[in-house]
Amino acid sequence: MLLVRWKPVLHCPPQGHPRRGFAWPRGPRRSLLLWRPIRSPAPAFLSISSSKFSQAGRARVRPIVRAGLAQTPSLADVENAEILFSETLSLKRSQTVEGKIAVRLDPAGAEEEVSKWRLTIGCNLEGKWTLHWGVSYCDDLGSEWDQPPPEMRPPESVLIKDYAIETPLKRLSSQSERQILHELQIEFDSNTPIAAIHFVLKEEETGAWFQHKGRDFRISFTDYFEVDNSVGGNQGFSIWPGTFDEISSLLLKAEESTSKKDDPDDEDGNVVKQNRCIAPIYKEFPILKEEFVPNHMTVSVRSSDKTDKNIVQFDTDLPGDVVIHWGVCMDDGRKWVIPSTPHPPATKIFRQKALQTLLQPKADGLGSWGLFLVDEGTSGVVFVLKLNEYTWLNNNGTDFFIPIGSVSSTTAEIGSDDIVHEQQAGTETHDVRNSLSPNNSYPLQNKSLEASDPKNINILPMKPQGAQEAKEAVAYTDEIIKEIRHLVTDISSEKGKRAKSKEAQENILQEIEKLAAEAYSIFRISIPCFVESVSDTELMKPAVKLSSGTGSGYEILCQGFNWESHKSGRWYSELRDNTKELSSLGFTVVWLPPPTESVSPEGYMPKDLYNLNSRYGSLEELKDLVNSFHEVGIKVLGDAVLNHRCAHYQNKNGIWNVFGGRLNWDDRAIVADDPHFQGRGNKSSGDNFHAAPNIDHSQDFVRRDLKEWLRWLRKEVGYDGWRLDFVRGFWGGYVKDYMEATEPYFAVGEYWDSLSYTYGDMDHNQDAHRQRIVDWINATNGTAGAFDVTTKGILHSALEKCEYWRLSDQNGKPPGVVGWWASRAVTFIENHDTGSTQGHWRFPSGKEMQGYAYILTHPGTPAVFYDHIFSHYQQEISRLISVRNENKIHCRSTVKITKAERDVYAAEIDGKLAVKIGPGYYEPPNGPTKWVVAAEGRDYKVWETS
Amino acid sequence: MEVGLMAKQAAVTKPHAFPARSLGFGSSVRGGSGTSRIGYEAPASVAWRKRSIRVARDGTIRSEVVVEEKASPPPRKDKAGPGRLYVGLPLDVVADGNVVNHGKAIAAGLRALALLGVDGVELPISWGVAMDSGDWSSYLAVASMARDAGLHLRISLHLHCHRRPRLPLPKSVDCAAAADPDILFTDRAGRRRADCLSFAVDDLPVLDGRTPMEAYEEFFRSFRLAFADFFGSVITDITIGLGPNGELRYPSFPPTGSNRFTGVGEFQCYDKYMLADLKRHAEETGNPLWGLSGPHDAPGYNQLPDSGNFFKDHGGSWETPYGQFFLSWYSGKLLSHGDGLLSVASEVFGDLPVALSAKVPLLHCWHDTRSRPSQLTAGFYNTDGRDGYEAVAKIFAKHSCSMIIPGMDLTDGEQPQGVRSGPQSLLSQIMGACKRHGVKLAGENSSLVRVGTAGFTNIKENALAENSRLDSFTYQRMGAEFFSPDHWPLFTEFIRSMAQPEMEQDDIPSNAERLSLSINSVPGNDRELQSA
Repeated sequence: MLLVRWKPVLHCPPQGHPRRGFAWPRGPRRSLLLWRPIRSPAPAFLSISSSKFSQAGRARVRPIVRAGLAQTPSLADVENAEILFSETLSLKRSQTVEGKIAVRLDPAGAEEEVSKWRLTIGCNLEGKWTLHWGVSYCDDLGSEWDQPPPEMRPPESVLIKDYAIETPLKRLSSQSERQILHELQIEFDSNTPIAAIHFVLKEEETGAWFQHKGRDFRISFTDYFEVDNSVGGNQGFSIWPGTFDEISSLLLKAEESTSKKDDPDDEDGNVVKQNRCIAPIYKEFPILKEEFVPNHMTVSVRSSDKTDKNIVQFDTDLPGDVVIHWGVCMDDGRKWVIPSTPHPPATKIFRQKALQTLLQPKADGLGSWGLFLVDEGTSGVVFVLKLNEYTWLNNNGTDFFIPIGSVSSTTAEIGSDDIVHEQQAGTETHDVRNSLSPNNSYPLQNKSLEASDPKNINILPMKPQGAQEAKEAVAYTDEIIKEIRHLVTDISSEKGKRAKSKEAQENILQEIEKLAAEAYSIFRISIPCFVESVSDTELMKPAVKLSSGTGSGYEILCQGFNWESHKSGRWYSELRDNTKELSSLGFTVVWLPPPTESVSPEGYMPKDLYNLNSRYGSLEELKDLVNSFHEVGIKVLGDAVLNHRCAHYQNKNGIWNVFGGRLNWDDRAIVADDPHFQGRGNKSSGDNFHAAPNIDHSQDFVRRDLKEWLRWLRKEVGYDGWRLDFVRGFWGGYVKDYMEATEPYFAVGEYWDSLSYTYGDMDHNQDAHRQRIVDWINATNGTAGAFDVTTKGILHSALEKCEYWRLSDQNGKPPGVVGWWASRAVTFIENHDTGSTQGHWRFPSGKEMQGYAYILTHPGTPAVFYDHIFSHYQQEISRLISVRNENKIHCRSTVKITKAERDVYAAEIDGKLAVKIGPGYYEPPNGPTKWVVAAEGRDYKVWETS
Repeated sequence: MEVGLMAKQAAVTKPHAFPARSLGFGSSVRGGSGTSRIGYEAPASVAWRKRSIRVARDGTIRSEVVVEEKASPPPRKDKAGPGRLYVGLPLDVVADGNVVNHGKAIAAGLRALALLGVDGVELPISWGVAMDSGDWSSYLAVASMARDAGLHLRISLHLHCHRRPRLPLPKSVDCAAAADPDILFTDRAGRRRADCLSFAVDDLPVLDGRTPMEAYEEFFRSFRLAFADFFGSVITDITIGLGPNGELRYPSFPPTGSNRFTGVGEFQCYDKYMLADLKRHAEETGNPLWGLSGPHDAPGYNQLPDSGNFFKDHGGSWETPYGQFFLSWYSGKLLSHGDGLLSVASEVFGDLPVALSAKVPLLHCWHDTRSRPSQLTAGFYNTDGRDGYEAVAKIFAKHSCSMIIPGMDLTDGEQPQGVRSGPQSLLSQIMGACKRHGVKLAGENSSLVRVGTAGFTNIKENALAENSRLDSFTYQRMGAEFFSPDHWPLFTEFIRSMAQPEMEQDDIPSNAERLSLSINSVPGNDRELQSA
């Protein structure tokens, strides 16, 4: 199978000024401010690819071979030795191929049919391309896609739910070299009130998508929306499939006159007045596709007659310099140890942890080889390959392992050792001839090939792009990251980290002095403290009457809907049938969808807040549902969308910013810094949600009205608490105000922003991310918790890439919000946005139960997604919940992480539960505590004390 | 016995290694200690724990306070060397009215201590403050602050008066005392000792039909429920305040006056209940006349031993049969109070993975006399020829309770002339008794070490001495003076040097690699010159 992954990189058309690259009928005249030239990283990109391609032909600079290595094995040794083990590894080296995507918009009809337009999207790379697309209509303020009108849909289109369609690109017979191979044409009438066409491209064979930072390609026919064109340098490429690569959204700025007078909307006075402008365009996006070139490496182990050492022979047909980054392990632990001297020629010691040995080129120039001596008694050799500074080859994300100690069982053992290695059916067959070394001086080669099973070892190329960015972000092996992790800042243990820790220690000392001075200044002022009453600033009065919004601490949350729940129009009644079941499963809190009238059917674009008839059912049905939940002892959270609200009317400028209904606010209730809605309020206290007017919470009348509304909801509907939508949009202090006014039993906010990645690889330290969430909780004064997005993100990386060490932070605590403020962390693995039919950030497929084994055993308040409850996972989830309840694990339970390694994570919670996730082996130690298995499933296991 | 004890101590030293369930060991200790405690088998304790948590649900919800510093705790180290180091929080950390005093300062202080490598802090809890409001939230808030800073906690439960600042009794007890002032300790002049219930009423239903012991037990249980989430992980020790100042003693010091008390003190046996007990005891031993009052020839609080006839080194009444009768009864009351209170405590806390401890005073004034009057008035029958600490150590051993001894910073030479003080010899006497009975030792300082004293050197010597290794050391106490520029650098240096024995084993190439503080590493008295 040819694995193809490709990276679109935006760059300039060859012309000097980007604007001239397009075939504008007339030069753009208006809204120059909106036009941002697309800056190009192209030069950098070019240099990368050239360095890549020239790799094979590059002149070799060989390190000086150390002289006087008496024990370096000679070929004579090798010939006489008995083969103990041999294996040929198939290596896939990545090679990058350049291609491009072309987007063309041009008139389709004859001269008089000015409204006919054709959009052509083409791609000149091999593959099975599909366009996943939708449109947005002029009168829809939502950010959601809609399906295009039927006349726009090309044949062979497949409807995806009700918001998108997928159309395959057709393969054209190529007439010339540079001809586009795949193309799709969409014809449409500019009179249709389409505001924009959105699309992403998908390559079916690899399943690779791409998008721009969660946004889509957008071809906009109005200047209504602000378009984020800020695509410049920092493109973080990811190296695993399924992640969205970045690409620009595309703005087409055009003439106001072209089609305006043809627009039928204009004749109708009531409809949207927008500047509909369409102009021809042609634009190309260069893309990089990665292809894998098969190579091989044969590793054989022999015992040496002359020494008591084993000889490990590496032989590969990889072109260019090949450095083996290797170590030995002394036991089963796979802990890297530097082999004893002497080391082979051309060896460098890498950070006291491993050796890097440059293989010697073969006589015929096709590949290289090396012989290493390894002491008897070592259990194996671990290695990865380094092809150049940016390209490493490893074994499906793990190290290659060659057993030495147990020589009799060879391949079988390897197979079982490679826990994470998944057999991929239909991968390429093993090509014996390719792996044969052309140098016949290795008589045992053939035998070794026959003896070894062909193994499919995928090599993940690490960040082959972005040379100038990747300087320090070389693909770290697990090992190196662990080393950094272990650089603890403990002041009194100074072993083995002198220079580095010294600076850290000085920082700590300064910090200590600062804190002591601070404490002193406060204490000094308040010395007679126990005599007189204390001033307010010195008091930390516990929030006695303040509701903490965390419920009993033993809550288990159920998200009681998904993205499709509005479809039937009677979700409230349907869910009512499940109340008893949810209660018996152990849930104590349910989160219901937003109840108000909404522009979008899912409810997240609320309009009249006091109209509680929605696509989920009527107010009466909602009340019945809430009552049913209360009868079975489940508290109910209302989904309160406080950030934004859709207007009822336009103002005199045609802007939709006048509200109706009971809360008939005007534009003073809208933040001033979103130009689309011309608000007259203050600037937003948070991030803006661009699809609807953002409410200005700094206005007293707005807060008063919202508090009254929330209190009304509690009374009228019977809600016990809140799930707060998009709380990034406004200051947490306002949330505190709302929570204090409504005293919810439980409250949780959705503070969702991006984790930090470095060159596509998620950073181990996500403290900044969780700090932002904790800051928000702090701003609410702890009156509301927040979804632990950090934990979800880290679980993604840990599970997907078998990097379970990520689940312990530098201080040995859980790395998410739950490690810092467990009582306010609502842990989850999926919701209606990340999963369901939207799938904006889907949990690694098939590993959901590992995620639940984690969150349902750990502190924090776990939330289970509806789709998972009513799936084949139900039994396992139910078991985990009852284990949690039986052992009285609560949101403040303590976690002791007992293992956080490459392939296994284990922890003890409150000393009552032990849990492990990951394919690796772990059993809790049976000391004074006897552990018995309480729940178990694929790659996870939970014990309780007997 | 020995084995069980060690197991329990191990659980304390490494709280992470034995979370929550060193119950099996705990019960075996109990079994071996002579008191029959069948109820400590694991199932019973599990039920207990469940109950405690369930109740705690209501107790803890409100209590969580937004702690500004959310930094995660620094990595914990398991010290092999000099035991664990604690710092005491201010006694008024939670003041009357149930608020956290100078919380910001404490938050900053905790963080500084954690960074410095201190293992934990001692949190004093006052019976009155906690039980009056029925609300543990402020104490829980402080405990959470400590936890969030990554520090362990030693909780000391104060049931009796404290010299300064005042730690009040619960209002209900105050009311009972107002109605019947004789339940308070009373001196010869008839002055009532505020905030200190007489040991004689321990088992009398003087508090609205309940005995003080029952009230103490209720307080312990309430504490246990409220802090259920903290045991084993955060709380490593519980210290029971057995008497005034949290020490096993009579309030023999003057009711008012300075902390630096060097007099002999007075016997506190003049409340109605003590006198009744004395009378009964006298009648039982066949000398009814001896039971009519306390010694008539004992001096007053601040007088010298020679002022009256009782404590005279030669021919004093203390050596007469009456003296022996009275002192045996007086010290016996103290011992049975301590024994009873520790029984209650170990019944309530025995199954928790925490260590129990209690403090005895280091009454070093007049130790260098034959009668040792300040020890006698405080209730320790420790005279020339009679070791009064054997019996104390025996009781501590019986309850697997470690003994906290203050005054680790004192030297014989530095004491004022004329009070014939001998802190070091008294200390070694108490330590010897503990060693003989297998009682673990913990230390405290008597007061902040000031510039120019050998205090820290002494603490180090005491803490690291091979024959009497301290399990932990608590430095008293955090406050303005503690963080003052006069004191703080000395303290950081002290903490650093406590960790030194480990470091010297490391192959640190040169001193330049070491952390250098603002004050260089200069031992002992040389520091005086440095900071002058």
